[in-house]
Amino acid sequence: MSLIPRWMLGLLVASGVTLGAVTAEAHPHVWITAKSELIYAPDGTITGVRHAWTFDDMFSTYALQGLEAKVKGAYSREELAPLAQTNVESLKEFAYFTFAKADGKKEKFLEPVDYFLEYKDTLLTLHFTLPAKTPFKARQLALEVFDPEFFIDFKYADKEPIMLVGAPADCRIAFQRPNDGSAGAQKLGEQNFLNGDNSNYGAMFANKITVDCP
Amino acid sequence: MTQRTQMTRRHFARALAIGVVALAAMVVIDGVLHAIFAQNAFGGPRPAAAAEPQAGGFVGWLLAKQSEFYREMSATIRAAKSDGSAVWTLLAISFAYGIFHAAGPGHGKAVISSYLVANQETARRGIVLSFASALMQTLVAIVIVGICAWLLNATAKTMCSAEKAIEIASYALIAAFGARLVWTKGGGFIRALQVPRLAPAMALAGHPDHALHGHDHHDHDHHDHDHAHSHALVGHHDHAHDHDDHGHDHHHDHAHVHDEHCGHSHGPTPSELAGPGGWQRGLSAIFAVGIRPCSGAILVLVFALAQGLFWAGIAATFAMGIGTAITVAAIATLAVSARSVAQRLSAGRDGGGTLFMRGLEFGAAGLVLLFGLGLLFGYLAAERVTCL
Repeated sequence: MSLIPRWMLGLLVASGVTLGAVTAEAHPHVWITAKSELIYAPDGTITGVRHAWTFDDMFSTYALQGLEAKVKGAYSREELAPLAQTNVESLKEFAYFTFAKADGKKEKFLEPVDYFLEYKDTLLTLHFTLPAKTPFKARQLALEVFDPEFFIDFKYADKEPIMLVGAPADCRIAFQRPNDGSAGAQKLGEQNFLNGDNSNYGAMFANKITVDCP
Repeated sequence: MTQRTQMTRRHFARALAIGVVALAAMVVIDGVLHAIFAQNAFGGPRPAAAAEPQAGGFVGWLLAKQSEFYREMSATIRAAKSDGSAVWTLLAISFAYGIFHAAGPGHGKAVISSYLVANQETARRGIVLSFASALMQTLVAIVIVGICAWLLNATAKTMCSAEKAIEIASYALIAAFGARLVWTKGGGFIRALQVPRLAPAMALAGHPDHALHGHDHHDHDHHDHDHAHSHALVGHHDHAHDHDDHGHDHHHDHAHVHDEHCGHSHGPTPSELAGPGGWQRGLSAIFAVGIRPCSGAILVLVFALAQGLFWAGIAATFAMGIGTAITVAAIATLAVSARSVAQRLSAGRDGGGTLFMRGLEFGAAGLVLLFGLGLLFGYLAAERVTCL
């Protein structure tokens, strides 16, 4: 019961009050409805991922701030080109929120190609293709799309969320949504967390796509 | 009789205090470990990930609510174009969103709470500071969108650069503010550290408290003589009471410690609201925290502007600010209360109590500095600026 341990504990309490205030959660400000395609070469190697991300109403309007359209309310692809450029440049910092593993090995992507924005029903959709740094073959491809900081909430479209383009006929897709309430998904998240296995807060909101090609 | 009962009572109080503190420490350590683990796991400077591992429960509910309110905002603003009464709905949603939203990072709770603990502020002043900084955040958001989007019709990209610049300024200010607090509070801590150095030895030796007091007093008196005359007197009073009655001592000690400190750093009688350091220090806190607007407010304002309802966006932003202020004020009040609990728990110790409180203030001041540096260099993640 000496003095020193006690005041040290006391300091911990004080820092606890403040830390407790810090560890509050991040929360989304932008919502994206996503569709993705996995592109295969004729020999069965994966060459890249093509995304189509539709931003929510509020963010779409925000992004269009200061941009003029010739026809009011109808932005052409050309008029949106500078914005698309900004988008893909900004996304680089976040690794395009696209994380791939081929048979457990991380795969990297090059900078996007064929990118453009589309404006429809007050919503912006960003199309872009991420070429694989080195096209790869995978018996099992695991692709995750999410924002680790959860500033952006990725939700895959209800209809045709993932497509395989030119994949060998025997490839099978398994798609796991976040927040689907399945206990399994949450357990997995916790396990990853404890293992320290490339997981984090936002990973709980990851869309997990698995493609098995036996 | 007195010495025996007193000692038993003291032991009991001490054991109780240790129990409470240990429990709290466990909670804290758990949280810290989570934070550290999450950070290492990701291998990068993004401890926004430092959170509970499950999306369910209270956190999940908080996130869900917040998303719900936020997503309703755009629809409500659209509705307000044709139906004016929708503005009331908008205000209600914005207010609720503010309350939930402020629980997230980047709204100054941590900085304000630490500052309040470091600077011995009252709960009342904590509430005033929370509201003032939330109001400033609101105004900054309105000014940014008002100038960039409304007056200059600048693009989102330009606005985002402005936001980023302001963000860096805010973090630098927090760090500078923290450094100043550390400097000020460090002096108090070092002085307290020098005084009760003997304390552990005394406790171990188990001498009657009486004799030791004499020693302690001399030391105390001697050391602080040149700083503040009144201080020494206060010390005398304090210890005298300590002998008589334990319960009594708590009350007295509390009041005295406060006076004592003020005597140290500045004039002896600061007005009730302007705490140590005066309004100037409080204003610096408000400015450092409040200069950084919240991304949500910017989005809502730009959206409202695009719908031709800028005024509704401004009203919504204010409602959001009030909601945010309430949450921040609640957390700030909690921090101040925790501090006075700590003070009461430590008051039983002779000399050690002062050391403990000075150490706590010094630690809290250090936290403000660490927050500032962490945010500035990207080790702590605040709410991201909307740049895509």
